[in-house]
Amino acid sequence: MIQHTDLIFAPALLPLIGAAAAFCAKSLRGKTSRYLEIAAGCTGLVLPFFALFLLYKSTLYGAVYKGVIGNWYNDVGISYRFDGISWLINFLGFIIALPAWIYAQSEKDTKTFTPLFLIQTAAVGAMAMCADIFNLFVCLEIMGIASYILVASSAKPGAFLASFSYLMISASAMVFFLFGVYGFYRLTGSLSYDSIALGLSLLPDNGGHAAVISLALITGAVVIRVAVMPLYGWLPDAHALAPHAVSAVLSGVLIKTPLFALSRVVDILPSGRAAGELMGYAGAVTAFLAAVISLSQSDVKRLLAYSSISHIGYIVCAWGAAVHAGTHTPEGRILMSAAFGHAVFHAAFKGLLFLSVGITADRTGNRDITALRGAVKFLYRNGEKIPVTFPAFCIGFFSICALPPFNGFLSKSSISLLLAGNWQNVFLIAAGVVTIAAFIRLARIYFPDKNVPSPTYTPLASSTSGSVYISQIFLSLICLCSGLFGPFLLHTFSRILSGGLREWPFSARSFYTIPGIIKIIFYSAAGFGLYTLSNTHSVNRVLYLIKERPRSFDGLFTAFGLGLAATAAWMLFR
Amino acid sequence: MIERCLIFLLFLTGFHAIIVRKNVIKKVFGLGIINSAVVILFILEGSRSGNSAPIIQPGVQDVVDPIPQALMLTAVVIGVCLTALALTLVYRLYTHSLSLHIDEIRRKIHDTTH
Repeated sequence: MIQHTDLIFAPALLPLIGAAAAFCAKSLRGKTSRYLEIAAGCTGLVLPFFALFLLYKSTLYGAVYKGVIGNWYNDVGISYRFDGISWLINFLGFIIALPAWIYAQSEKDTKTFTPLFLIQTAAVGAMAMCADIFNLFVCLEIMGIASYILVASSAKPGAFLASFSYLMISASAMVFFLFGVYGFYRLTGSLSYDSIALGLSLLPDNGGHAAVISLALITGAVVIRVAVMPLYGWLPDAHALAPHAVSAVLSGVLIKTPLFALSRVVDILPSGRAAGELMGYAGAVTAFLAAVISLSQSDVKRLLAYSSISHIGYIVCAWGAAVHAGTHTPEGRILMSAAFGHAVFHAAFKGLLFLSVGITADRTGNRDITALRGAVKFLYRNGEKIPVTFPAFCIGFFSICALPPFNGFLSKSSISLLLAGNWQNVFLIAAGVVTIAAFIRLARIYFPDKNVPSPTYTPLASSTSGSVYISQIFLSLICLCSGLFGPFLLHTFSRILSGGLREWPFSARSFYTIPGIIKIIFYSAAGFGLYTLSNTHSVNRVLYLIKERPRSFDGLFTAFGLGLAATAAWMLFR
Repeated sequence: MIERCLIFLLFLTGFHAIIVRKNVIKKVFGLGIINSAVVILFILEGSRSGNSAPIIQPGVQDVVDPIPQALMLTAVVIGVCLTALALTLVYRLYTHSLSLHIDEIRRKIHDTTH
């Protein structure tokens, strides 16, 4: 009989077993190889759902599984902790990774993709249960190495440069992370979060400046992966030029997992709350600025990439407020639930948008928002007799524009309701309006335009694989269901995070109020107005300047240095 | 103290290469150097408790702390993987742009895609 204490390792181990099998499949040929690869994918991406299902009830009622791997001594072995947030991170990871992998099966050669993708998913599973600071470093590095290769796997020159920039900035940041680990180890002689917190509490002034700077170094290094402004420079190219399935997972899962893993680390020190406060402010500004930059883009996937930065801004804003309030307080837990709710819902609709827009760009051979028109007709003429891609895009569009009853409306509304009265909320509302304008601009690619010449319709040599449609339908259903049952889901996330307590303050009635609906109509009208304005010559010129702003490799490091210094200074002097 | 100053100097050398040097291979070297600096720092930290090999036998005293060494073995392996991958990407960039200058590579890729 498998115990729950064994099952908690399944989300990390099953993808690793799958990866090993997928590597073996590379050495085989023909159908055997294909069957083994599919079996490997199912082992790594479907079986973990059963483990999560079996663990659901105990996690919902606050069960926490913690210990040291191999039953070593606490100060020597690798500590782990599986609790509500671990379950939720795994849920987020697998619910997006599965359709992304199915989508990728439409590619001709997936023999390299599958094992790397499974290793990346395993790293997410392992990171979810990290309670050891060095193990967090290892998980971040494994996840990073797999994603650098996956980004470069599209084999475009721009993808190689994006992957190189991503690698250099992340790997350099991880050296700073190690300096932070060094600081904590020197102060406490421990690596597990609990032991470090205990050790620091016994020191005068909780370890003083050395402890604060160590935490700032670790936070800064992790925030690079989350891509909050000003540390976002690596993301647009990496997400825009990666294969579509990888873009979906990068945007949906990989930029969020380190953030939620960080919530345990910042709890080590009381000044971690100050770090959360600063990140919350940065998140609000990020949400707005990245939305403005997304409006200026002409490449369809780059627009989606900047939109991902904008939405991570929403999540970081709520996350930062939660950390600032204290993750063990009811207020902090509710804010954290809202942040997680938006993380899951954003992962679903952004994954769907990446897949639907990606296949549209591939089939039409055009990624330019200003030049691509009439894609619905094009897809129909090229074999999509039952439309799937355009309806999938529409579901993603309505969700990201936060229109009721889609999931984006619920998660954005809950963050707005919780942050009502704060200046951050103004930025988030403005970001929502700009997002609507940007996505109306993107939606134009599906409709004909008398001012833009229609593309030449040439029949394509190959038809679209069924896996592309299955993955889009799967994610569309997730978006629709999470919209319809959103209040219940958000309540469940809150219960899981709070160990079974019914703290979530909102019901369906809280969202669907007359003033709330009027506000949505007003914001949508404002978004449409901004879109119309963006077509005028003068605004178009400003957007062009934003799009063509100078960017350089060195700028990534300057931003990292400034971000790190600002975090350390804020934590020391706040 | 002198050891720590030297390690800091080593780190600055590597970081300087990453930020200031335009040659992408030198940037990868810089990454290797800053990795080495942090590895040496951990090894130095482990030797604070002694210099003997950590094999506990009668009469053996003042052993080094083995945990930093174990950690750094992992960090070294990760560092090697990253360097290999970074050099592979550099090779791919070079075959496309016939240059190792980061600005030149960026310019050529920008020209190709626009």
